[in-house]
Amino acid sequence: MHNEHTLTLAWLVLLGLTLLGGVVGNAGSPGLWVTVAVAAMMAFKGRVVIDHFLELGGAHPSIRRLVRFYAVALPVMLILTDLFGPQIARLTTL
Amino acid sequence: MSTAAATFTAPPAPALGRIPGNKAIWVGIYCELTEFALMFLVYFLARAHHPEAFRDGPQQLSTLAGVANTVIMLTSSYFVARGVMAMRRNARGTCLKWLAAALVVGIGYPVVKFFEVQWNVAHGLSGNGEVFQMAYYYLTFNHLVHVSWGLLGLLWVMARTWMGAYDARDHDGLEAFACYWHATDLIWLMIFPLFYVLP
Repeated sequence: MHNEHTLTLAWLVLLGLTLLGGVVGNAGSPGLWVTVAVAAMMAFKGRVVIDHFLELGGAHPSIRRLVRFYAVALPVMLILTDLFGPQIARLTTL
Repeated sequence: MSTAAATFTAPPAPALGRIPGNKAIWVGIYCELTEFALMFLVYFLARAHHPEAFRDGPQQLSTLAGVANTVIMLTSSYFVARGVMAMRRNARGTCLKWLAAALVVGIGYPVVKFFEVQWNVAHGLSGNGEVFQMAYYYLTFNHLVHVSWGLLGLLWVMARTWMGAYDARDHDGLEAFACYWHATDLIWLMIFPLFYVLP
């Protein structure tokens, strides 16, 4: 069970990362490392919500694992799409 | 206060391996996650096929609107979590105040979305078949639908809290709503960087 201070800290961290994301969105230039950084931020923010808001740390493993997997799989797919975009496009062209 | 009395009044600690809220809400959340997983898959395939459209797309959108709605979702989610914590202490009035704050903030989401769409149309983003715009409208409008359901759910748990339906020992319905709201927040945290942040 979380206490109020931990939850508030998690919320403030998430707000800070959101504002940082806004700066990247306005000023960043395309590149693999920017994609990796944004993907890492997605995964981290997702994990904070899962652990501190949803409180899945002590939940049933099937729930905890699936939701944690979700927040990791999407950022990984983003990186893979930027790394292997042409190959994915070729494989999925009818 | 005797040990027996203290044991009687203390809220039970959540057990390890438990299902937060109830099973039914997790069926709903699994459906929600699956629905968005399919839409994210479409996003990634479209991004692989049209990298230039997705590279230029985020610059066409209002970053301010994206950041504002992320702050709204996170803050409303935080307020709901504080409401659940208050209910665990049996502080029903405090819980209701946190839920009311979550509702007031949460209503900001469709309001921001309304002005964002006005801004989009004024800037030529009318969803006219361009692949980035279609992906953006499809995913974000679907998310708006889920937020709207969530706001109705929030009104429901507020009414139940006001009527005294929950206490420190039995507030599964409140916790189930909180799980749905946090899951909807989680999905927005995935949508936001894909459309508004990635240069």
